[in-house]
Amino acid sequence: MAVVKLQGVSRSFPLGNKQISALNKLDLTLEKGEFVVLRGASGSGKSTLLNLIGAIDDPSEGEVFIHGNPLSSLSDKQKSQLRSQYIGFIFQAFNLIPVLTALENVQYPLSLQKVANGEAKKRAAEALAQVGLADFIDRRPNQLSGGQMQRVAIARALVTKPEIILADEPTANLDSETSKQIMDLLGSLNRETGVTFLFATHHDFVLSRASRILELKDGHIVNDEQVKNLNLVDQIPPGEKVEY
Amino acid sequence: MLRLKLALLNVLRNGRRSFITLLAIQFGVISLILMGGFFASMYEGMREGVIRSQLGHIQIYQEGFNQFGSQQPEEYLMNAEVLQKITKLVEDLEQVELVTPRLNFTGLLTDGSKSLAVVVEGINPEKEALLSSAVKLTAGEDLFEEDTDGALIGDGLFKSLNLSVGASLTLMATTADGSFDARDVTVTGAISTGTREIDNRFLRMNLQHAQGLMYTEGVTRLVVLLKDTKHTDEVMALLSDAFKKQGLALELRSWSDLADYYHEVVNLFDGIFSIVQIIVLAIVLLGIVNTMVMAVMERTPEIGTIRAMGGTRSEVMALFISEAFILGLIGSVLGVIFAIFLAQGITAAEIMMPTPPGSSQTYPIRIFTEADLLWKNGLFGLLIAVISSIYPAVKASRMLITQALRFA
Ligand SMILES: Nc1ncnc2c1ncn2[C@@H]1O[C@H](COP(=O)(O)OP(=O)(O)O)[C@@H](O)[C@H]1O
Ligand SMILES: [Mg+2]
Repeated sequence: MAVVKLQGVSRSFPLGNKQISALNKLDLTLEKGEFVVLRGASGSGKSTLLNLIGAIDDPSEGEVFIHGNPLSSLSDKQKSQLRSQYIGFIFQAFNLIPVLTALENVQYPLSLQKVANGEAKKRAAEALAQVGLADFIDRRPNQLSGGQMQRVAIARALVTKPEIILADEPTANLDSETSKQIMDLLGSLNRETGVTFLFATHHDFVLSRASRILELKDGHIVNDEQVKNLNLVDQIPPGEKVEY
Repeated sequence: MLRLKLALLNVLRNGRRSFITLLAIQFGVISLILMGGFFASMYEGMREGVIRSQLGHIQIYQEGFNQFGSQQPEEYLMNAEVLQKITKLVEDLEQVELVTPRLNFTGLLTDGSKSLAVVVEGINPEKEALLSSAVKLTAGEDLFEEDTDGALIGDGLFKSLNLSVGASLTLMATTADGSFDARDVTVTGAISTGTREIDNRFLRMNLQHAQGLMYTEGVTRLVVLLKDTKHTDEVMALLSDAFKKQGLALELRSWSDLADYYHEVVNLFDGIFSIVQIIVLAIVLLGIVNTMVMAVMERTPEIGTIRAMGGTRSEVMALFISEAFILGLIGSVLGVIFAIFLAQGITAAEIMMPTPPGSSQTYPIRIFTEADLLWKNGLFGLLIAVISSIYPAVKASRMLITQALRFA
């Protein structure tokens, strides 16, 4: 089953007494294990698309399916549960909760799933080790560098074992060296865990990790290109959940 | 666990704002406890004053007295035999401090030139001295059994007749058999009951002397003083049962049945208290809502993040309501503790109250801190805090996620 499927999806916003169209009749399918880079100029609709796939915004037209579930049929509560189960977010501004330690930040989505405290701690520590922060679990966000904060955020997105991680310009607030390290990390996590990545950016160096490149312009997909590169995930049969 | 910790950490995150919220809650709790405690002490003062100056806890009359006795008091006297029987019966109850007879009638008091209508009470001086501990002697000396023709005169009456201790007066009254008689009385002192109206026309004398004037061996009522006011209803029931069993045609009235003025004042002040409660509620509510709304605004990106991670609306609501609960709990506990200290301090300072209306005595301000008052107002503070957080919490939970995230 496709991780994400969009059918004739449009999204427009009211501007004064006009409607401006951010996305126009989009059809799109994302498969398990893909590392999709979403390119496009500022204002081309990248964030709008990510919000729709992330079930935090509703299309004006068309239908979004996550793991086969049509979002329009779900209540707010069901959408919350679906996000908790299938989706992870990585934000440009990291969005860590400032009063919580790195470990607690990563633990938080598990506590939303009512995972027992001890179990949640263990899994959070593992996720932090996976992103190379085993020694920083007790630090608060303000005691971490930008790159470290984004690693915590990645661990937080990963810890619930989602099917897809949505990253909206996650390197925009980082210097280029750190950005490359974060990209390497995401690429290897994609290979190790088989989680689908959808990655909005306007940095070109990201492209080398992509298995597929989508290009948006004025709310249309103007280019959709499979990149036959080194990704191991290509060998994982679609629909098979990988344990990690 | 972690979510409760997050609420607690958020309370600590903005210390100044939490401090202001705590102050608002404490202000509410303290002012309500102090006012409630002050009213409670005032009620108690009035209640015990009226019990220990006039009413006792329970009064016993011949059946029919309360309905018809004001027209023909002489028809509804309890005779010596009944009197003895009941006195024994009442005295045997362990809750009873003492029981004493009174003979009441109206008379005309004259000093040879002026005559004034007076309310006369024939009493047993020894027992009455114990019962009427709230009656204050303002001139002369107390009445004793040996002062066979002695009389205590109400303070106002004493002044209006320009009397002095030792003065001799004549008291005239209609006797039990309908004729008219008079006795001489000697003023031994002046008394104040605390109620000006009574003090203006009150005379107390020895029961035997009063009975002699009235040609009777009976009394109007037996007044019962209990060891504690809280036993009143219990003893009322016991006596009522006992009288029925013994076939005694008697009537009972409790102090509460008789203290109309007390109930009027209590109702008035309870009304005032309710209004103050509403005002305090409004002030505290506005204070907390305001700081909570600020907290919600400030944490907009956090709300968006939690929602994006799969937190439900109820999750977000619960987060802010638990913060309010924590603040409410701390604020109420501190408020109760401070209120106790303040109440004790004010009581210890013995600040004199202005004379209450209709009263002729003053008291120092006392503030009671009964457990009931403390926990009720503590709970009230906690509830206000939680209620105040509902609107901001709902607001937070209804934010559009994409909008909320944009503030990051
Ligand atoms: N909440 C909104 N209200 C009004 N217009 C919006 C809103 N969100 C996005 N837009 C508009 O939709 C278009 C696409 O925006 P966006 O998806 O943020 O682009 P990108 O992320 O590629 O820069 C832009 O023209 C933007 O102004
Ligand atoms: Mg964007």
